[in-house]
Amino acid sequence: MKVRRRWHAWAAFTSAIAVLVALPLLPASAEESPSPAATSAADKKVFTVGITQDVDSTNPFTGIAAASFEAYQMMYPTLTEYSAADFSTVPGLAESWEESADKTYWTYKIRPGLKWSDGEPLTARDAAYTFNRVINGDIEQTNYGGYTSTITKAVAEDDTTLVLYVKKPSPIMYQLAVYILPEHIWKDIDGKKVKSYKNEPENGEAVVGGGPYVLIERRKGEYLRFAANPNYYAGKPAADEVVFRVYKNTDAIAEALRKGEVDYANDLSANVFNSLEGAEGITTVPSVYSGFNQIAFNMGAALTDGTPIGDGSKIVLDPQVRLAVAQAIDRQVLADKVYGGFATPGSTVIPPLYTNLHLEPANPVGFDLDAANATLEAAGYTMGEDGVRVSPDGERMSLRLLGRQESSESQKVVEYVKDWLAQIGIEVNVKIVSEDTLYEKVGNGDFDMFEWGWVVEPDPDYQLSTFTCDQRSTEDDGTIYAGLSDSFYCDDEYDQLYEDQKLETDQAKRAEIVKQMQQKLYDSNAYVVTVYYDNPTAYRSDRWTNFTPQPEPDGVLLFQYGTWSYESIEPVTADNADTTSSSGGGVNPALIVVGVVIAAGLVLGGVMIGRRGRSEDDVE
Amino acid sequence: MASDQQTGGAPQGRRAIARARRREALARGWGQFRTRRAGMAGLGILLFFTLSALLAPVLFPPETISVTRATGELLAPPSGEFWLGTDDSGRSMLALLAWGARVSLTVGIAATLISMVIGTSVGIASGHYHGFGGAALQRLTDWVLVIPFLPLAIVLATVLGGGSTVTIIVVIGVTSWAGTARLIRAQTLSVEGRPYLERSRALGSGNWHQMTRHVLPNVFPLVLANTTLTVAIAILSETTLSFLGLGDPLRPSWGATLDQAFSNGAVSAGAWWYIGPPGLCVVLVVLSFTMIGRALEQIVNPRLGGQ
Amino acid sequence: MSLIQDVAGGGGHDPVPGPPPLPRKDKGGKGLSPGASFALRKTGAALGTLFFVLVVNFFLFRLLPGDPIGMYTRGRNVPAEQLAQLRAELDRPILEQFLTYLRNPFSSTIDSAQFNRPVWELVTERIWPTLLLVGTAIVLASIIGVWIGIKAGWKRGKSFDKVSTGVTLTLYSMPEFWLGMILLIVFGVGVLGLPGVFPIGGISTPGVDTSSLAGWLDVAWHMVLPVTTLTLVYLAEYALVMRSSLVDEMDEDYLTTARAKGLSDKFVRRRHAVPNALLPTITLIFLNLGFTVSGAITVETVFSWPGLGLLSYEALRGPDVALLQAIFLLFSIGVVLANLVADLLYAVIDPRVRS
Repeated sequence: MKVRRRWHAWAAFTSAIAVLVALPLLPASAEESPSPAATSAADKKVFTVGITQDVDSTNPFTGIAAASFEAYQMMYPTLTEYSAADFSTVPGLAESWEESADKTYWTYKIRPGLKWSDGEPLTARDAAYTFNRVINGDIEQTNYGGYTSTITKAVAEDDTTLVLYVKKPSPIMYQLAVYILPEHIWKDIDGKKVKSYKNEPENGEAVVGGGPYVLIERRKGEYLRFAANPNYYAGKPAADEVVFRVYKNTDAIAEALRKGEVDYANDLSANVFNSLEGAEGITTVPSVYSGFNQIAFNMGAALTDGTPIGDGSKIVLDPQVRLAVAQAIDRQVLADKVYGGFATPGSTVIPPLYTNLHLEPANPVGFDLDAANATLEAAGYTMGEDGVRVSPDGERMSLRLLGRQESSESQKVVEYVKDWLAQIGIEVNVKIVSEDTLYEKVGNGDFDMFEWGWVVEPDPDYQLSTFTCDQRSTEDDGTIYAGLSDSFYCDDEYDQLYEDQKLETDQAKRAEIVKQMQQKLYDSNAYVVTVYYDNPTAYRSDRWTNFTPQPEPDGVLLFQYGTWSYESIEPVTADNADTTSSSGGGVNPALIVVGVVIAAGLVLGGVMIGRRGRSEDDVE
Repeated sequence: MASDQQTGGAPQGRRAIARARRREALARGWGQFRTRRAGMAGLGILLFFTLSALLAPVLFPPETISVTRATGELLAPPSGEFWLGTDDSGRSMLALLAWGARVSLTVGIAATLISMVIGTSVGIASGHYHGFGGAALQRLTDWVLVIPFLPLAIVLATVLGGGSTVTIIVVIGVTSWAGTARLIRAQTLSVEGRPYLERSRALGSGNWHQMTRHVLPNVFPLVLANTTLTVAIAILSETTLSFLGLGDPLRPSWGATLDQAFSNGAVSAGAWWYIGPPGLCVVLVVLSFTMIGRALEQIVNPRLGGQ
Repeated sequence: MSLIQDVAGGGGHDPVPGPPPLPRKDKGGKGLSPGASFALRKTGAALGTLFFVLVVNFFLFRLLPGDPIGMYTRGRNVPAEQLAQLRAELDRPILEQFLTYLRNPFSSTIDSAQFNRPVWELVTERIWPTLLLVGTAIVLASIIGVWIGIKAGWKRGKSFDKVSTGVTLTLYSMPEFWLGMILLIVFGVGVLGLPGVFPIGGISTPGVDTSSLAGWLDVAWHMVLPVTTLTLVYLAEYALVMRSSLVDEMDEDYLTTARAKGLSDKFVRRRHAVPNALLPTITLIFLNLGFTVSGAITVETVFSWPGLGLLSYEALRGPDVALLQAIFLLFSIGVVLANLVADLLYAVIDPRVRS
């Protein structure tokens, strides 16, 4: 009797919980688990990309997010493009290009007979308009000033001939990533209006563009919809629509991929990637990427005029200390354990996927704690009683290391580095800060070491400029502004090489200079490049096929320099569509289990309530 | 409790009597506590975790939770070698939990101490002083009580600079005292109404003397019961704040471990051994403090009933 | 007002799970219109709290290290005149700034750094999802929690009481986000070979029109796990409070008398004990909104629920000071107002307070 009553008590309780679970569930389960995304019309082929950071603005002059640039290159053409195979320059809007013999201007031949998406002609005049607008603009300079700094003016000699006059010869002229805009639209948006101009579809009208896709709908924080542009010069792409959907994190995207809500997810964590491997209808690819991460040192923070700033430790100014740190970091372990194998050990600041430019150093520094200890010992750093070395000046080797809040890898890397350096007698005080704070601290020179990284463009100029003396911080009205330099590396010889490569329009000769610069940086250990990381990617191979990696054969599939995959992908044929529908509309076994449990809970609860009622009536 | 003290006798003797009475009350309290099964169970669980925390360095030498010297596979499910599996650096979850117990318990107890000191002082003072000061303290208590805890804690942690264990302790300490203050104030008022305090006042004893010699000993049992309950809240708060990334990532408490698991995609990876055990530890420890606290409360204030 | 009276009827509540504040039982009324004076006192206290919140909110954030303008302008092209305007604003005397702030606390000088939008806009669009989630959970939790509490309290010491008290205490000891993660891993992702059923996050499937019936169902489907999590956590407290307040009520003399007079148990319970015990519980549900806020922050984070809670979590990255400030203010105002409503309602309903 007692046992039974106890059981009833339990039943009542569990049924209460079951009811609670069932309440919101009942209507939904009755509806047969609303399977999303698949609801879009069957005849329209929609390719959906999951993104974590929303496009901040679809106006190419004001957006700064990575996804925004992905949108711009879908919406607007550029003169030339980076090839999918190896980043070499290939025709874009321009069929051909030529530097004048006296190196004072470049001539671009624009494809004839092109049209914007609204049917207006797309000519060299639009290109000239765009370039002049950037050159003479204010806010227009923000995103594209880097490309036009050497250009004095743009002239359209006729509908197919664009001439750009330059101050100095520059290899940048091969790759002007300035999005060519339709003059007939943008001429009405002056320098004042452009700041707040949204450039979004209005009244159901697509944003006029000339790239492979045009923007047809935008919902802030939710999604962007693009439709294939029939007037695109390389032909209308096979995917009718491309949708960028915003998710909170890559976990959510991965799950959406699994459920078929999106077709493509990248930037996946190793765990998530592994969990997707082998999933039905999903293909996973590690994708070689152009980013590297590093441990950087404060090599003497100063303003461009040489005035020292900040509170960096003197200890890391010693090249031998930096060498010892480089010797004490096991890049292979970081690649394997922190990045889950989706990275390769790093060396120089130009990643190896740029085969023409990357230098494999002749004198690689390997992981060797004994050697690191010996290096410090030889340089006069003697071990103290507390296991922390003391510098020849009598200073304890205690260094600060900043990691980034935004990156779980960063937080792990600094923990590993702290651990290793402890083994060579260097005490490390780790602090995790936001990237914003880190940027500020670095700009002010208030650091010893930090962990961060760069994504390197195919043109090495920008990356190499970050080590020039001119890119150190500047001061204006008592406020210090950070330059691009975050190591405060400053070397006259290096600066000279930088100037040389900037003027060298022979690409093979330029590559030689670039390699020399990499060697100099490597020897200085301004950066200990920890890894070149991959971009773990997964996509619905049961729906889409024929992606184009950049570079061949194992590069990234989307978020490339160019729109290669958007143009090449094709929907998988009919027999595969069956697989999709069966997985979407089929009966989910777990749903049955849940349903049964809930039903059981309800029945038990009902019995229980009924019984209670009776027993109480008895009392009454 | 040692309440109504009698007059007469040498001061020395009075104090001795008071001490004896308190000892006696303590023994009686323990006798009562022992009969409460939930309280004893709580004590048992707590002892277990305290021991794990104390013995962590012996059972699991520091190398076992060093990322560079971890020996396990990354994110391996439980096995013979690693009973609770490994985290995403290949470290034994069991070792991490034992070390985490040190942080979680330390933070919980340290924060509670701060909270108790503030709460008891404010409570006694606001009950004792009838003028503007007392009223002001009471208002302050009411205000702090109403402001939602977590947003306030987040804001404070941000201002004080997150990422350190000390910050977490201070933040929890200064945001969780108001409940105690309110309780102690009520008790103080009832104690102050008793005749012997009026006598003491009439005899000209100062405020400080009254508060520390008469009020404090009388509210102390209540403080004690409240302390154990506050530790429970403090540990939960620590877990929450660490989960939000405000703790010290290199000194992993249970909450920080959950943060790690969450932000490293353990949910998607289905790594239940990475998520389940740290939370279970929190539940058990919080539950143990709650059970002890409730048992104590029932002893201190039998009217609360229960059995 | 006498101090003793104030203790019994004092505002606020004890955050520690314990007995609810006992209703005032003192019979000694104060000369004129106690109801009006009570309402006046409570409104005054709420206003005081609001002012305190504003002061804390304003000055605490002025203590932050770093340059708020630098944090905002980084990586953006901010026109010089706007920058100068910002600087001038922050260079004004602190008291003057405070007065401006009091005039409109939500119109921060500085936009949200990470969203690049005015904080007021961000905050307002996130209110509804939170109200939907937390509101549903509170309603469910109060119904179930109170029911469990009544049953446990009435049959004190019986097996239902023991089991339910054990379970509710355990739920009460649980970090709500952990419970959420466990539910997510079991029912969203799927473990040990079982597939996941529920969506793993968000409020709706992207692209589904949320104004249609299908959209509503889709939102409901997304709500299942987060609402379950919050309900389980909230109901624990409600059940515990209801139980202890019923236990208190049953010790009252009138109940013993009623039973002695031969009234049936069921009648006594329905007519006397439960209604009287319900009052402090319902008040507590209101008073305890501060506690539900914590749940909202972490559970929204776990389920990527696009409400104020998730926004708070997002604001921590940076930290996005202007945004944090607005969220803190909004949460506080909400809770203070709810408290005031609870206090006033209580006075209206409870005959003993009205006296």
